[in-house]
Amino acid sequence: MLEELLYAAAALAILVGTVFSMIGMIGLLRLPDVYARLHAAGKVSTFGVVLLTVAAILAVPYAWSRGLLLIALLLLAGPVVAHAIASAAWRTGVPMKGVCRDDLAAHRLVTDEQHSARAVR
Amino acid sequence: MLAYLRLVLICLVLFLALTENAEPANIVLGLLIGVLVALVVRPAPDLLSIRRLPLVLFNLARYTLWLAVDIIRNGIRVARIVLDPKLPIRPGILAIQSEMKSELGIALNAHAITVTPGEQVVEIGEDGVLYTHCLDVVASAESAEAAQRTRRRLMEGIFR
Repeated sequence: MLEELLYAAAALAILVGTVFSMIGMIGLLRLPDVYARLHAAGKVSTFGVVLLTVAAILAVPYAWSRGLLLIALLLLAGPVVAHAIASAAWRTGVPMKGVCRDDLAAHRLVTDEQHSARAVR
Repeated sequence: MLAYLRLVLICLVLFLALTENAEPANIVLGLLIGVLVALVVRPAPDLLSIRRLPLVLFNLARYTLWLAVDIIRNGIRVARIVLDPKLPIRPGILAIQSEMKSELGIALNAHAITVTPGEQVVEIGEDGVLYTHCLDVVASAESAEAAQRTRRRLMEGIFR
């Protein structure tokens, strides 16, 4: 009985994880620029994988401690990777498309001036 | 010294839980690995105290639960945006003031924002201003303040 319940929960986790990953990949294809696409790619590589790991823990309960550690590390590392790529894109000057509001633009102007001042010197 | 011992102990417990093997040889190996990790990491003396550990663990669980609810709610919102034929995104970068003061606090705050679907920290300015790229910057600007307050309340239970 318990085993069947665990299997059902695992199937549900696989289903949700797969649908989540699929929507994420559709987003990756449809969204306009690097920053928006990183939302899709970053979240899929975190939660898609986490949900599949949850399914593995529920279905095969031999190495659950290792699985939980893996989930914790994935949840910590995923956002860091997405932030690193977004930060690198911004620092190398990749433009945004269709911006509604940009609180960083003023910041960018200042650092650009500093850069050119440094180049003149 | 106490901080080192504590870290060694935590590493030993983690190692034993992961290897699922409590033979004396394995315990010695776990101790050696713990000492090695402690020597490399150099733990901060007052980051974690055993006496507050149950409370911290409880607050950590509460924080994780709130984060999970937030992730699911925002995930559905973003999925609806992505699947909409018109693709109604309003992208932009929002400056959010970090509620925490310490380096670790700012980092955790940025992590909490980035882990939420539809929001992602691009750059961290002076005084812990988190420049966040949002898929729907108008909606995020409305909800950011309340979310930051809740994050602060939950995180203070972990740190202090």
